[in-house]
Amino acid sequence: MQQGQRCSFLVFRLAPLACVPLLVGCVSEQSTLHPAGEDAAAIADLFWVMAAGTVVIWLIVMGITVYAVLGRKRPKTERFADRFILIGGVAFPTITLAALLIFGLALLPDWVRSDRPDLRVHITAEQYWWRVAYEMPDGSLANTANELHLPAGQTAEFVLNSTDVIHSFWIPNLGGKMDVIPGRTNLWRLKPTEAGVYRGVCAEFCGPSHALMAFPVVVHEPDGFEAWLAGEAAGVEERRGHALFVSTGCGACHAVRGTSADGAVGPDLTHFASRRTMAAGTLPIAPENLQGWLVDPSHHKPDVRMPGYASLEETERDALVSYLLNLE
Amino acid sequence: MSKDNPVIAEIRRETGSGTDLWSVIISPSIWALHFLVCYVSAAIYCQKLGRDAPLSDIRVLVIAVTVLALGGISWSSVRLWRVHDRSLTDDDFEYEHNTPEERHRFLSHVALMLCVLSAVAIIYVTIPMLYLDSCR
Repeated sequence: MQQGQRCSFLVFRLAPLACVPLLVGCVSEQSTLHPAGEDAAAIADLFWVMAAGTVVIWLIVMGITVYAVLGRKRPKTERFADRFILIGGVAFPTITLAALLIFGLALLPDWVRSDRPDLRVHITAEQYWWRVAYEMPDGSLANTANELHLPAGQTAEFVLNSTDVIHSFWIPNLGGKMDVIPGRTNLWRLKPTEAGVYRGVCAEFCGPSHALMAFPVVVHEPDGFEAWLAGEAAGVEERRGHALFVSTGCGACHAVRGTSADGAVGPDLTHFASRRTMAAGTLPIAPENLQGWLVDPSHHKPDVRMPGYASLEETERDALVSYLLNLE
Repeated sequence: MSKDNPVIAEIRRETGSGTDLWSVIISPSIWALHFLVCYVSAAIYCQKLGRDAPLSDIRVLVIAVTVLALGGISWSSVRLWRVHDRSLTDDDFEYEHNTPEERHRFLSHVALMLCVLSAVAIIYVTIPMLYLDSCR
């Protein structure tokens, strides 16, 4: 008796605790049931239709079971029994499964698509991270990693590759998953519809750190995406400029404190861009003046000791100018 | 009289041993053949023409094979249904007697159930073909 009470206490008081892990599913940043993309919306619809159907069928079966156990005991005719099995056991499952099959097949994506996507992103999965490269309009690739940014309302095509084992690319809020297989290029399209931050994961066990291979997915409004993509390109030119500043010998004469450029022959350039003039009050600081100065300093300032750098390519001088103008 | 009637003669023949196994396996065999024809032809077609090839030719083939297969199963079903109709005992699902007639009726009943199963399976194999557009 005592033990029975104790048991029922445990069951009734602690049972809700067993449901706590299920609440993890309520976090909406990684949930198929909070669709933010076209495919995910279709999948969520499929889920709700199937869940509702399951509830109805479960209720019918349970109703029949309860009736069979508690209902009035009355002999049924053999004909009724045969019909019951034929309809409930053969016709109903066959028709229900066929309907589900057709409903599911109708959700299949249209694989033959000649139309160009609005954006193409190359994804390379590795143990245990993601290379991400955005295809720019000129065909070049803007590389980044472990974070995906997408514009809302536009179709993004993912070119999926793997360098080691089979991974799977899955952003539950945006759509279904697609395997990423070494030696094979899989194409996958998603169309996010709502801006927000979601979570993508690797959905195919790929090694001990399989679960530690996630990536944030930021869906922007289209303008925000363009701004983000432009921001990705920023800074690259300056760093290239810094590399040239060192490799072409600028640093032998000019110092930029905190870097390997520590020359003391010419003016210190650490905060060059925040000065009002260049070449000792000769020219205002402007990109075209810097370009001209680098080509031929003595044109602007006769007998200056700095040599010209007309031998550099124009793009290299652009990079140097970009670097110098950011030394604030 | 009974010697000349082909229906009676058939019953004699089949109930002589009670084990006309061909009628039992004919519908599953049609199902197996249909399955093989559909899958093998689609596999060869897609291997030859590549991932983006449209499936319209194969769809016509699959539908034609399905019509043939369902026709074959219908024919078998009608034959088996007739056994049910001209049963020498009463019209129930009890097979308790160890006689050739009982065995014949039982196997015919089993074969009829297999016809239904095979027809359903064939239709299920065919449905996806109505929705798939390319070899992908």
